Amino acid sequence: MNSSFNPRPRPAARHFGLRWTLSSLLLACFSLAPAISQSADDYALGPDSFPQPGVPQGAVHQTNWTSKIFPGTVRDYWVYVPQQYDGSKPAALMVFQDGRTYQDLKGQFRVPVVFDNLIHRGEMPVTIGVFINPGEVPSSQADQKARSNRSFEYDSLGGQYARFLLEELLPEVAAKYRLTADPVGRAICGISSGAICAWTVAWERPDQFSKVISHVGSFTNIRGGHACAPLIRKTERKPIRIHLQDGSNDLDNLHGSWPLANQEMAAALKFAGYDYKFEFGDGGHNGRHGGAILPEALRWLWRDYPKAKK
Amino acid sequence: MHSSLRRSLLLLNTEFATALFAAVLLSLSASAQNLKGDEALSKVLIEGEAWQTVAEGYKFTDAACGDDAGNFYFADVAAGTSIVRIDLAGLVASVVTNTPRISGLKFGPDGRLYACTQSPKKQVVAFELPSGHMTVLAEDVQPNDLVVTRHGHVYFTETGKGQVTVITKDGQMRAAAKGILAPNGIGLSPDHGTLAVSEYTGTNVWLFRIDADGGLSAGDRNMELRTPVGTTRSEGDGMAVDSQGRYYVTSALGIQMFDSTGRLGGVIARPQAKGTVSCAFAGAGRSYLYVCSSDKVFRRKIQSH
Repeated sequence: MNSSFNPRPRPAARHFGLRWTLSSLLLACFSLAPAISQSADDYALGPDSFPQPGVPQGAVHQTNWTSKIFPGTVRDYWVYVPQQYDGSKPAALMVFQDGRTYQDLKGQFRVPVVFDNLIHRGEMPVTIGVFINPGEVPSSQADQKARSNRSFEYDSLGGQYARFLLEELLPEVAAKYRLTADPVGRAICGISSGAICAWTVAWERPDQFSKVISHVGSFTNIRGGHACAPLIRKTERKPIRIHLQDGSNDLDNLHGSWPLANQEMAAALKFAGYDYKFEFGDGGHNGRHGGAILPEALRWLWRDYPKAKK
Repeated sequence: MHSSLRRSLLLLNTEFATALFAAVLLSLSASAQNLKGDEALSKVLIEGEAWQTVAEGYKFTDAACGDDAGNFYFADVAAGTSIVRIDLAGLVASVVTNTPRISGLKFGPDGRLYACTQSPKKQVVAFELPSGHMTVLAEDVQPNDLVVTRHGHVYFTETGKGQVTVITKDGQMRAAAKGILAPNGIGLSPDHGTLAVSEYTGTNVWLFRIDADGGLSAGDRNMELRTPVGTTRSEGDGMAVDSQGRYYVTSALGIQMFDSTGRLGGVIARPQAKGTVSCAFAGAGRSYLYVCSSDKVFRRKIQSH
């Protein structure tokens, strides 16, 4: 599996393939495999990640977008609208990178189901969810391949992706649904490279997004992202709340060490006095831990909304 | 996974197991830390393989180019009057003589050797081999380096104009991309669907989609070249692309290797601390990276497939 988390439809299968390969290698040598692969990363989804009786279910619509800010790229995205949304007042907003993964009802996150349950109980506000895939440049000839633009969009520091959201994609959503303009009601989330992307959006535009959830975030040197922690320490504190998750068995490769980079982020957030929570488990580079604690993370993120507005 | 493996295996606690464990751990650290898509230098460099000198005694070599059989071609852009070939046996010989000074060479799908010439005139030309017959394709241009797609479109950098110019397969010439900081090196993805262009005075390598009509679209600064500390000049120059779509871009700091999505894999040291400005895959199995470095040409075996 790719260190920047593969957003394609079969990431779990690929990851399993790697595990199987390593396990069978060990099995051949030592017959020890069963003792190994069950000792860590055994997180499971709780009841908030499954449909519950009597809970209204929101609707999810899929559409697509051709960008000018990332020239020539195309992408799918999904919009979740809770049943409680009636347009009488602006809804909160939460944006997810690698949208296909987060909106998948059989995946590691199942966000529409989690939203249904938490909104029903009033543990988070009535929230429009926007799940965006990374862009790709389609090929011009039948014998050529489309080119993924994911790493460029997600791993790059700077404001290009924030501009894409604020000038292109979110106005499309806002044309159909009333979204709050208050950054306290606007959150952004991602996994791996999508997580550093989420942080970068809030960092560049804290006037637009004040809440972040990061799953196994790539705060490593894929494209300079290892600078995030030092920047936090030496920049006047920004009004951003972040829930950060990683695991001791996350990647360690040419771009850096994910466990160390996430600990570095947590230390910098603490140093600079941010409102943050760091969940450091023993998982690998996947969404198992992040998915299992997503309901808890959302409750923490939205705990005082809309009180915080006052 | 890594540390749990280590814990479990150490429980065995015998010398035999420890030795086996060390062997397995070595193999794991290669596979577990360099997963699919992670293009560390250790994936392409081969332990014990170093730069070898394959030609020397020139003023300034450039225009690195390989053919399908694995022969390597170059020219002396500062003083040369010929196109030089190094064959698979290592024999160095001129294959075309009485040429203009050449800064870029590439084969086209028609078997001709296309070239950017610097003097006496700045032109884009094509040589037939073995006759050496030269046809002028474009005049009054400032060409530096070029590629030819399998569809027959010729793209060349006009460094001073900040422009990439195309001569489409039907012979029409037009600007294809503008606003690049001193575009210099140019390369093609293995499927010829993506064009890469390096900045000499900037820090980027741009990627473009090659449209069916030869136009370039979807241009962006997809790769960030490292620069010497204290400068914003990468001196990005000629490049080679391997069968996996990895880009090898010559620069002031060395040969910068990027994966097919533009993530830096690492910087390969130059063979000598002199201008190293173009490179190409050639040799048996096209598994050697040949580089033009000032007065010499070097090659080094690479895991290029």
